[in-house]
Amino acid sequence: MKQATETKPFEKQAQRRPDVIAIRKTCDAAGTGLSHYVLMDKQAKR
Amino acid sequence: MTAHPLLEGDLARGSFLPLQPFDIDHPTYVAVIQPDTAFWGLTRKDKLAETLAGGALLDAWREKGETFAREMEMLRFHLKPSAVYFNPTERCNLNCAYCYIPEEMRRRGEQMDEAATLDALERLHSYFRGHMPEERLPQVIFHGAEPLLARDAIFPAIEKFGDRFRFGVQTNATLLDQEAVSFLTARGVGIGLSLDGPFAEVADRTRKRWSGNGVFDQVVRAIEMLDGYPGYNVICTMTKENLPHLTEMVEFLHARRVPACMLNVTRCTLAGARTVRGEDDDVSKAYLAALERTHELYRETGRKLVVANFANILIAILAPTARRLMCDISPCGGGRSFFALAPNGDLFPCSEFIGLPAFNGGNMFRQPVEEILESPPFRLVTGRKVEAVAGCDTCLIRHFCGSPCPAEAHEMNGGMEQKGAFCHFYEEQVRYALRLIADGRHEDFLWEGWDDGTEVICAVGAT
Repeated sequence: MKQATETKPFEKQAQRRPDVIAIRKTCDAAGTGLSHYVLMDKQAKR
Repeated sequence: MTAHPLLEGDLARGSFLPLQPFDIDHPTYVAVIQPDTAFWGLTRKDKLAETLAGGALLDAWREKGETFAREMEMLRFHLKPSAVYFNPTERCNLNCAYCYIPEEMRRRGEQMDEAATLDALERLHSYFRGHMPEERLPQVIFHGAEPLLARDAIFPAIEKFGDRFRFGVQTNATLLDQEAVSFLTARGVGIGLSLDGPFAEVADRTRKRWSGNGVFDQVVRAIEMLDGYPGYNVICTMTKENLPHLTEMVEFLHARRVPACMLNVTRCTLAGARTVRGEDDDVSKAYLAALERTHELYRETGRKLVVANFANILIAILAPTARRLMCDISPCGGGRSFFALAPNGDLFPCSEFIGLPAFNGGNMFRQPVEEILESPPFRLVTGRKVEAVAGCDTCLIRHFCGSPCPAEAHEMNGGMEQKGAFCHFYEEQVRYALRLIADGRHEDFLWEGWDDGTEVICAVGAT
């Protein structure tokens, strides 16, 4: 999991929302984890 | 295996009402869901009748419904393991109230030495390479009990197998000294810590040594040592002891720049855990308040504290196949996308089953992993489908929740066909997630790049 520290453009969210909304994205399924550990998207050496 | 009905023609025949309304407690929007395909949409309440009769959502589902069905079929029934929860020891230096490892094992259990650890990793590597592509590394998470009690075994293993696995360690932090932090962070090992409260008085109620002394100070010291390392996180288990302080907990973690956390429900597999579990309603209220607080903190500072278990629910809605955690899908990931290894080589579908001998699938040092994955104990878990769980079979959000957890259902409620402990909590999570999408706030709860590698297959009114 990459971690983010960027600020988002909040003002965009104040715009009127559409009458109908649907979002679906897809990718190759690779889910691997259980809730006893937070899976990370990539290694992060320091 | 029987094909999904949508793949056999029901979609084309139009023999059932595809979209069903689901109230999300939003002032303007209501959700409509096609549960088998986990397809959903949001419509203004005054447009609900026309949305159900036709229009963009129904068109999208008619066009893509078979694709969605295939996607769910792949996710639910055709994954192969890519991770192992590697328990190098049964022993623990703590006696936490809700642990799923039985007390006798934690006091005097088995522990691997270096040779056994290396042998196990060689065997696991051979197994994973049999079906995983070269460019994708399998994951090994050293777990427990307390894995750093076996530090002399697992550190050489990380050193030797660092290019063949992605490693993680879930630890209570009491043995995480500066030398260990330097070793693990230099090798990019994921580090999970456990902490149940923002101050000792609360945190030490559930997480303490055998002597009864708490470990809050040691965990905070570890958080300070890990400051700036992006590959660490903190797990907070929500119990009746810390629910009133959950919002303070996320403030505490955010102030210490913890990059991600989980706010997990108490898994009620063993009786001890049930003594500290919060009531469903209380957990839901405290949890949603804490999530809202993380959003306020993000707006105030521009810095996120990602609550990873909630982020996973959001992802399950937005991009079902992109989910990382596999507890909230049915069948769950236990025994099919990951499994757990005990110190003597026995394999269980998930760490949650390690204290339950009936779920021992076989021994990795004596049998091929492939054979163990097909054993009756594993099949009992991998065969638990939400469609066969009473009350979940007709639930519209059954593929956003997955009816967790099989260990809990079996031990607490008497069978795999039963629900787990927190039905209402999961329902409220999904409602909240859909409200965030309705308000256009959902990305604020996800980490940047969560959808790298995904493509949009449906977008109606979405920005």
